[in-house]
Amino acid sequence: MAERKLIDARGAFCPGPLMELIATLKLVEIGDEIEVLSTDKGTAMDVPEWVAKVGHEMVGTEDKGDHWSVVVRKAK
Amino acid sequence: MSDKPLFILICSQEHEKIQMAAMMASVAAVSETPVHVFVSMGAIYAFQKGLADDARYQGGAFSDVLKDKKAPDAMLLFEQGKELGDMTLHACSMALDVLGWQEDDLVDNLFDGSMGLTKYLSDAEQGQLVTL
Repeated sequence: MAERKLIDARGAFCPGPLMELIATLKLVEIGDEIEVLSTDKGTAMDVPEWVAKVGHEMVGTEDKGDHWSVVVRKAK
Repeated sequence: MSDKPLFILICSQEHEKIQMAAMMASVAAVSETPVHVFVSMGAIYAFQKGLADDARYQGGAFSDVLKDKKAPDAMLLFEQGKELGDMTLHACSMALDVLGWQEDDLVDNLFDGSMGLTKYLSDAEQGQLVTL
């Protein structure tokens, strides 16, 4: 059964949240989801760009007011 | 981002340049772009083993901001890029020679060896070269 992991990268600067996401993706199973919380505005744009480039799946991006929530599904 | 290799030649010890090199190298490497970093001239000082964080880079106003805000350290970004992506780092053999340094004098687990500029530039003809 697919799981969802949470990375709280609030306070980390570019490219910290992306690097944390990638390190965690290496550890989870295909189909699992990872939610990244980030106060870095670039994360909301950079993560979808990276996901499209390398072939994972974007689940969604949400503006939570004081931070962003970005959810990615491991596809390969 | 292109799948052609990215070649990043770092000559400066300035914090903002080494930070930019580390950001470009790590993000490109984890985005399936092979990255080859060449460290020469004054930049080699920033890669010396055993330095305190505040002695590693040459300062400036933006260096103070990077330190105050605890931006990810450039050495850590290079390490992550190597671990998670396709990245090599080589020290300029001339820079090591003039300083009388060996590869052992450089930060552990980062470098793939030393190389001459001629070989690096020859390899760089296959891709994009950025100099900082």
